[in-house]
Amino acid sequence: MSPPTAVKATIISDHPQTYEDEHVHAVYDEIAPHFSSTRYKPWPIIARFIASLPTGWVGLDSGTGNGKYLPLPLNRPGDIWTIGVDRSRNLLSIARKAGEGDVTREVVWGDVLGRPWRDGAFDYAISIATIHHLSTAERRKAAVQRIIQSISPSHGRALIYVWAIEQDDLSKRSIPSDQTAALTDSTGQDVFVPWVLTSPAPKVGPKVKPRRRKQNQQLETPTPETSQEDVARESQQRVFNRYYHMFAKGELTALVHDAARGLALEVGPEPVGSEEKRRGLHIVEDGWERSNYYVEFKCWECT
Amino acid sequence: MVRLITHNLLACHAKGCTTNNFPLQFKDVSIELREAEFNPEFLKGFMPRIEWKALVDAARQLGDTTLPSEMPEMVDDEFLKNLHHALLEVHVEEGAMVCPNCNHVYPVSNGIPNMLLAEHEIA
Repeated sequence: MSPPTAVKATIISDHPQTYEDEHVHAVYDEIAPHFSSTRYKPWPIIARFIASLPTGWVGLDSGTGNGKYLPLPLNRPGDIWTIGVDRSRNLLSIARKAGEGDVTREVVWGDVLGRPWRDGAFDYAISIATIHHLSTAERRKAAVQRIIQSISPSHGRALIYVWAIEQDDLSKRSIPSDQTAALTDSTGQDVFVPWVLTSPAPKVGPKVKPRRRKQNQQLETPTPETSQEDVARESQQRVFNRYYHMFAKGELTALVHDAARGLALEVGPEPVGSEEKRRGLHIVEDGWERSNYYVEFKCWECT
Repeated sequence: MVRLITHNLLACHAKGCTTNNFPLQFKDVSIELREAEFNPEFLKGFMPRIEWKALVDAARQLGDTTLPSEMPEMVDDEFLKNLHHALLEVHVEEGAMVCPNCNHVYPVSNGIPNMLLAEHEIA
């Protein structure tokens, strides 16, 4: 068991793409195998969503990571196909072989801000623990819009999960109390979440010099208050700080509304007996589960 | 693995490239055939959303000529097995996919297509 990991507040630099390359993409490529070994259990609401999809549907997993959702539903394998997209090439190599047996999954190296698909090509989309890695509200909105545009305007369904400021008791992460002021803020907060990689101890010789990324000092910052012993241990540890935007209550659903309206979609249930041509998006469910906010929505079209 | 199930959904997304950007054309590809579990119900459900001509052309480009030029109205087991093979058992492992409109090249390496764009190419 690892001890609770402290979350630090962070300030985003001027260039979000470069910032995310450094504090998200590079980190996941480095920690891919270790990260993957800790991410194997599907979350219940997501498993339930996938289990509810009709046979013959094809979907997109935007930010698939190690691909743990690609083999679902386990009780009727191959009834649907989920195609995984991720920015980390190293995670994709793992995702490609996700699940039991020797089944090859479909994975694509891409960015959640891209949309390399024909319009509305998918029946469904999921995006789990991904959009919170985008460092501006504008980019998070764009990512949601790419999801909306990727699914069928008439029947497409989607489920999005992001990290919440409100963490449950079981979470290993602790938020410093001086940051709780942000709890009342509807715009969330930007933090670094450390990932500690421990490499095997060196057998002989002088202290191992940690591999360093020169322009990237934050990634190498050891945890504070280190004793002599800790210093020795940390020579074998590398700390990677991943950037997260922690969502405030209501923020995710508001983001979906905003994204939909930006695409000239109505927000609300499908009108009955409308004779006009209208397009919209309906929030089916939203809520908080195990330290995350989620939102499920469905697209509709009257022609 | 770009299989044809994925190829049938992919389109060029380079900045300004919004018409004639589908289907991507295979270039210098090497393929591998790998058996996959046959699931006729999946195929029947997915069929209405296939861009049929793109699938048939791509399959022929990869040496599979078993699919009819028009999507049949009645499906039998033989047709479904051919469709299954074309969509799910032909893996493009290396090579590239090229946009028919802007000629943007998307490389495929170790079975994984690279659909990333440089920041200035993103729409």
